[in-house]
Amino acid sequence: MGNPLLTVKNLSAWYDRGKMVLDGFSLELAAHEVVGLIGLNGAGKTTFLKILSGLLPSFRAENILFRGQPVNLRKRDFKTSRYTVFAEDDSFPYFTFREYLSYVCSAYEKDIPDVSELVHGFHFENDADTLLKDLSTGNRKKAFLITAFALQPVLLFLDEPVNGLDFQSTEYLYQQIARYKEHGTVLFSSHVLESITLTSDRVFVLENGSIRQTFERGQIDAANIREALRYEHDI
Amino acid sequence: MNMIFKAFAKKLFGVKCEKLKRTVFLCLVVFWGLYIADWKIKIAPSVLYLMASAFTGGVMWQALTSKDNAASMKNLFMLPFDRRKFVFSYVAALGAYTFFTKTVMLLAVVWAVAAWNPVEILASILCATNAVLMAAVMYVFRKYWYVGVPWAAIAIIVILFSGNMPWFVPFCVANAVLAFLLLQNADAYSFYPQESGLGHAGKKHVRHSVWRYFFRYMKCHKNYLANTAIMWCVGLVLPLFFRQVWGSFAAFIGFAILSLNTPVCILLSCEPALEQAVRFLPCQKKAFCIPYCLFIFSCNMIANAIYLCSTQLLNGGVTPATVAAALFFALQSAVCSVLLEWFYPIRDWKIESDLWHHPRKYAVPAGLLLLAGAVGTWPALVPVLMGLLATEVIILLVGCWNSD
Repeated sequence: MGNPLLTVKNLSAWYDRGKMVLDGFSLELAAHEVVGLIGLNGAGKTTFLKILSGLLPSFRAENILFRGQPVNLRKRDFKTSRYTVFAEDDSFPYFTFREYLSYVCSAYEKDIPDVSELVHGFHFENDADTLLKDLSTGNRKKAFLITAFALQPVLLFLDEPVNGLDFQSTEYLYQQIARYKEHGTVLFSSHVLESITLTSDRVFVLENGSIRQTFERGQIDAANIREALRYEHDI
Repeated sequence: MNMIFKAFAKKLFGVKCEKLKRTVFLCLVVFWGLYIADWKIKIAPSVLYLMASAFTGGVMWQALTSKDNAASMKNLFMLPFDRRKFVFSYVAALGAYTFFTKTVMLLAVVWAVAAWNPVEILASILCATNAVLMAAVMYVFRKYWYVGVPWAAIAIIVILFSGNMPWFVPFCVANAVLAFLLLQNADAYSFYPQESGLGHAGKKHVRHSVWRYFFRYMKCHKNYLANTAIMWCVGLVLPLFFRQVWGSFAAFIGFAILSLNTPVCILLSCEPALEQAVRFLPCQKKAFCIPYCLFIFSCNMIANAIYLCSTQLLNGGVTPATVAAALFFALQSAVCSVLLEWFYPIRDWKIESDLWHHPRKYAVPAGLLLLAGAVGTWPALVPVLMGLLATEVIILLVGCWNSD
């Protein structure tokens, strides 16, 4: 792994007092890599992504470094370096996709990019001018994914990006994730093994709020990961 | 108790009925507080019955139109169920929620400040029950609104003009029985909220506009739009009530009353996903909060402007200081509302009705009412407050540009 882009050391998080969701969680992300998070329900994947998105205040960590410097996850510098696509998102229901893209670009202080290729790739042409609230779950997910790939942040967090997508869009998504290394780093969680094995450079298997096993490039294999998850389940 | 009722009751009251316990406790506190204060007013029985009916019917209607029960309903519809049992269990759960968490609070206040007797208590409970059943019937058969509206109008007229008549109670009982019989034929699926929307946004826009977003929001929430229109109408007629007492005190109280357009002030509380997005995206204090603040300010200021124009036409006496005070109240209401939404959004509400009657929603108008009282008594405070407001706005603007 090259120089770490993001370092998280000994992260603990909780929702209710005493109920730890993440416990001593440590992870390093290098620039220009794709990292997959996999684990059973409740392992802490979404919580981790929510913390990195600045949405969960109840956590403590020994260190969170971005490009080697301590970072406040709620400050503009870090916020403009990352974008998250959440597993379920009903935000800005009265914007169309194009308006949402324009709104997000202005928040990130970027010009509106040309998204025609992404819109075509995700088969989204007919829905680009429909209010987000009137889109189906899958199409709404596409709107946020297109925004994410168009925005090209240094860090892209995707929480279960495959859920709700049709198979053509899923395959297109895999291509986009794999190609994203040119622009930045992708950290994504998924329950679909295929999405992890086809795109990731590294895979973390989460168990009870900490990383139980790491698979490096060359070791990433569906059978190995399945075995790790089964072991976790049997325990 | 059947399972359908239990399922909805648990959702509405909490697993251990914690919401019910909290409301009963609050009612007791309010009742004893007002009772001990020995502040008495006279309320005619017909007004009491009308209040109980209209308030309960309105809250029940809100609960029925709320989309928050849709998920539970979808799960229940997936299973085989008895149609009639479902209808009565659902109406009973929503009716119990309406009565025990909302109407009881109103009755506690009324009974604490007015003389009452057991007959009036029973009659007002009967009116509330009647309103619950009528609201349910009118919701289920809403496509026959041309029958429902006159039916409701007749009920209101009867309550208002014959609350003291001996045949009033039999009338209410008969009305409730009629509603009950109509519910027997109700289709359970008609309680499931229908999807509705604008579809394509009309004109295609490549650039965003937060104002357009707010207008669409209002267009899709007709009750919020109606509330705004009502506040503007109140602005029009308010000077009639202040004709005898017009002065700076009345003007300030009027501005405070016109800041009661609370539904537009809970946008983030209403939509948790929007709140999440606004917290997660960068520069949102500038991109979202300031336009939101200006939007609320515009709604309030239009009401205040109507109020001032109406006052000038009816009473005269509007001065530049009054106009400045109107700006002050409209802006202060907007700033405080947005700050509350940002720092203390209302969370953990069960259904939208909880949100609409949450005390936090009325914190800003209540504060402004107190302020109006203070400023009306000591007009010398106006320049001080204007200075404070200017400072507040500068701090907010600087904070928005530099943080986040």
